[in-house]
Amino acid sequence: MSTLDVILILAAAGCWVGSALVALGARDDRPGLLLGLAGAILASVGALHALLGGPPSRLDVAFWGVPARLEVDALSAAFLLPLQVVAALGTLYGREYWPLAAAKGSGRALRFFFGTLAAAMTLLFLARQGLLFLVAWEAMAISAFFLVNTEHGKPEVRRAGWVYLVCTHTGTLLLTAMVILLARRLGGLLWVPVPPGPPAALDGWILLLAVAGFGFKAGLFPLHFWLPPAHAAAPSHVSAILSGVMLKTGIYGLLRVSGLLPSVPRGVGGALLALGALTAVYGVGNALAQRDYKRLLAYSSVENLGIVAMGVGLGWTGRATGDPWLAALGFGGAIFHVWNHALFKSLLFLGSGSVLHATGTRDMEQLGGLGRRMPRTALLLAPALLAVAALPPLGAFLSEWFLYRGLFASLHRGYPWSAGLALVALAFTGGLAAVAFARFYGILFLGQPRSPAGAHAHDPGAAMLVPMALLAFLCLAAGLAAPLLPPLLDRAAAPAGLSLPGILATGLARDLRLLLGLELLLLGLGASALAWLRRRPASEQAPPTWDCGYAGGTARMQYTGSSFAEPWAALLPGLRTRMRRLKALFPRPQAFRSEFQDAVGGGLVDPWIGRLAARALRLRRLQPGYLSIYILYVLLTLLAVFLWPLLRERLLG
Amino acid sequence: MSPDLLIALVMLTNFTLVATSRINKAIQVAVAQGVILGLMPLAMGLGRHVHILAMAAAAIAVKGWFIPFLLRRALRHVKIHREVDPFIGYTASLLLCAAGTGLSLVLAHNLPLKPGATPAFLVPAALATLFTGFLLLVSRRKALTQVVGYLVLENGIYLFALLLVEDMPVLVETGILLDLFVGVFVMGIVINHIRTAFDSTDTRHLAELKD
Repeated sequence: MSTLDVILILAAAGCWVGSALVALGARDDRPGLLLGLAGAILASVGALHALLGGPPSRLDVAFWGVPARLEVDALSAAFLLPLQVVAALGTLYGREYWPLAAAKGSGRALRFFFGTLAAAMTLLFLARQGLLFLVAWEAMAISAFFLVNTEHGKPEVRRAGWVYLVCTHTGTLLLTAMVILLARRLGGLLWVPVPPGPPAALDGWILLLAVAGFGFKAGLFPLHFWLPPAHAAAPSHVSAILSGVMLKTGIYGLLRVSGLLPSVPRGVGGALLALGALTAVYGVGNALAQRDYKRLLAYSSVENLGIVAMGVGLGWTGRATGDPWLAALGFGGAIFHVWNHALFKSLLFLGSGSVLHATGTRDMEQLGGLGRRMPRTALLLAPALLAVAALPPLGAFLSEWFLYRGLFASLHRGYPWSAGLALVALAFTGGLAAVAFARFYGILFLGQPRSPAGAHAHDPGAAMLVPMALLAFLCLAAGLAAPLLPPLLDRAAAPAGLSLPGILATGLARDLRLLLGLELLLLGLGASALAWLRRRPASEQAPPTWDCGYAGGTARMQYTGSSFAEPWAALLPGLRTRMRRLKALFPRPQAFRSEFQDAVGGGLVDPWIGRLAARALRLRRLQPGYLSIYILYVLLTLLAVFLWPLLRERLLG
Repeated sequence: MSPDLLIALVMLTNFTLVATSRINKAIQVAVAQGVILGLMPLAMGLGRHVHILAMAAAAIAVKGWFIPFLLRRALRHVKIHREVDPFIGYTASLLLCAAGTGLSLVLAHNLPLKPGATPAFLVPAALATLFTGFLLLVSRRKALTQVVGYLVLENGIYLFALLLVEDMPVLVETGILLDLFVGVFVMGIVINHIRTAFDSTDTRHLAELKD
C-alpha cells in the first residue's frame, strides 16, 4: 500500500494554500498562478494514477490522539480530477477576468478564497474521518461564501451570500448529525466500510440525513433555492468552480457514505430516483424562464445534478436488489455525468463570463448578435451547447445513455414505478434542455443587438480564451474517447458498493464502439455535406443577418427570450406574466410584464422567514443597549445553571 | 507558601476591588490578584510539569506586565481617575460581594466534583472571584472599570481551571490567555473610540448605538 499518491495530492493542497497566501502580498499574478498550476498538476498525476488502476493509497495520521485517515481511491480520484482542471483553468481565466488590482482589494480577496476553496475541496475528497470531513466541508462552504460575496457592495449579492450561508450551515447541521450516527454505526470516526452483514436500523436514518445534508449542497429540489442567486452573483470563474465541482461534493458524499454501509434499503434508492427526476424537470423548466443568462446556467446545473442524483438512485436500487449491472450503470453513469457536467458547465460559465465582461449586462434581452462580434467565444461555446442538450457525439449524451440503459434494464427486471417515472423525466429534460439552450444561444449570439450594451462587444484576450479552448477540447474528447472510459468508471464506482470488476467495460464495449462509429460516420457525412454546400468561394463582403425577407427590419422585430419561451409557459412554475386583454379593433398601446420567482425560494421560504422575523422583533425589548444589562443576563444564566442542580434535589427529591 | 494563604489573599483582593472607587487602585489590585494566581500552581506543588510552569510564567507576564501597561496607557489617554456614581453603590457592592462569596461556599459544597487533593477553598474562591468580576462588570459605568471586571472574571476562570490543570490540554489554556489578551486589547481600542466619539468613557452612551 503506497502513500505516494496521497502525499502528492496533499502537496497539491499545500500548493493551493500557498497560492491563496501569495495573493495577499504579491504584486502580480504570476506566483499564485504558478503555484496553483503546480498544485493542479501534482494532484492530477496522483488522481490519474489512482484512476488508472493504482492501488488505493492511504496515510494514517492523528490529531490530538484522534486517529484520522487520508486516502485516495478511484472514487476520490474521479472527483479530484475535474476539481483540479476547473480550478487551474479558473485561476488562469481570473487573471484577465478579475484583475488583481480590482477595486477595494476584491482582486486579492478573490484569489485568496479561490485558493482556499480549491485546497479545502482537495482535502475533502481525501478525508476518511468524520471530523476531518466536516472541517474540510466547512472550509469549502465558507470560502465559497466569501467568493459569492466578492461584489459585496451590491445588495442583491449580499442577499445571495446570506441565503447561501444559511442554507449551507443548515446542511452542515444535518451532516454533523449524520457523522455522529455514522460513528455509532462504524464504531469510530474513521470511515472504514462495514463488513457485509445484516442491515442495522441506523442505516436508513444515516442515508436520510445524508440525502438531506448533501442534497442542500447538490441543489436537489426543494433545497435548491440558494443556488441560482449565488451562482449569478459570483464572478464567472467562481460560478464555474461552484457549479462544476462544489455542487458535486454533495454527490461524492452520497456515494462515499452509502459505500460505507453494507446495504441500502430499497425504498431509499427509488425515492432518490424520483427526487432526481423531479429536480431535473424543475431545473430545466426554470432555466427556460430566466432572463439572466447566468441564472439560466445555474438552473441548468440544478437540472444536471438532478440527472446525477437519478444515477445514484438507480445505483442504490441496484444495490438494494443485489443487481450489479444496475448498480454499475447507475453509479458509472452518475460519475460520467459529473465529469461531463464539470467540463461543459464550466465552459458555459466561462463563456458567459466573457459575454458579461464584454457587455456588462446579465440581461439576455439587452443582447443579441454577439456571434459576429465575439466569433471565438461563440465558436468555443458550441461543444458545451451540444453537450448540455445531451446531443451526440458529446460525452453528456453518453452519460445519459448509460442512465437510459440502466432505467430500461430496471423496467425489464420489474421494479417499474420509479424507473418509469425517471425514464419519462429524463427524456423530457433532454428535450427541454435543448430548447432552453437554443434560446440561450439564439438570443445571445444570433440576430441583431437589442441595445447598445452588446453593440461594441469584442472577444476577450488569450488568458480567458485559452481556458475556454481547453475545456472545449476536453468536452469533445470526453465524447470521442468514450470507449476508453468504462474501465475507469468501473474502478471509480467500486467504492460506492456492489460492483464486479470490469462489468461496464465488458458489458458496454461493443455498444460504445458501435455508437461512436455511427457518430463519426454521421459527422463525416455532415461535414462533407457542409463542404459541398460551401464549395463556392465566399463573397468579399459579409452580408447582414438575414431578416426573413422583411425589408428594413429592426432589432425590436426579433424574437425576445420571453417570446421564445412562451409556448412552454405552462411548464414554468415560477413565471408570472401580466398583460391586459386587448379589446376593440384598434387597441390602445399595451404593456406586457413578466416576472420570475422561484416557486420554493421566493414562493414559500421567503414569506415564512418574513413572518418569523416579524415575530422575532418582539424580543427586541430584551435589548436595551446597556452593556451592563447584557452581562447581567450572562450572570443570571450562570447562577441559574449553578443553582438548578441544587434546587432540583430539594424540590423534586 | 501554602495555597490557602494565597486563596485568602485572593478573597481579600476581591473585597478591595469592589470597595475601591479609584481606577488606578482597582487596576493595581487586579494586577496583584493576577500575579498571586500565577503563583498558585507553584504553591499547589505542580512545579514538576514543565508546560504548567510555562503557562504560569506566561500568565504572570501577561497579567502582571502587559495588561497593566495597556490599561495605564488607556488611563493616561482618558484622564479619569475615579468611578463616580456607579449603578450600584460601594456599600451595596460590598454586601453583594459578601453574599456572592457566601453563595459560592454553598455552591462549591454541593457541586459534584472529583474528590482529590485540591485545596479545600479553591473552588469557593474561584466562584467568588467569578461573581466579583461579574459584579464589577454589571455595576460599574466607566469602560476602564469594566475592563478590570473582565480581568477579575478571567482570574476566576483561571483559578477554576487549576482544578483541571493536569488534565487540560495546553491548547485550551493558551486559548484562554489569548482570549483575555485580545479582550483587553480590543477594549483598549474601544475605550479610546468611545472617548473621541462621546467625549467621555461612560458606557451608557453606547446605548445610542442600539439598532
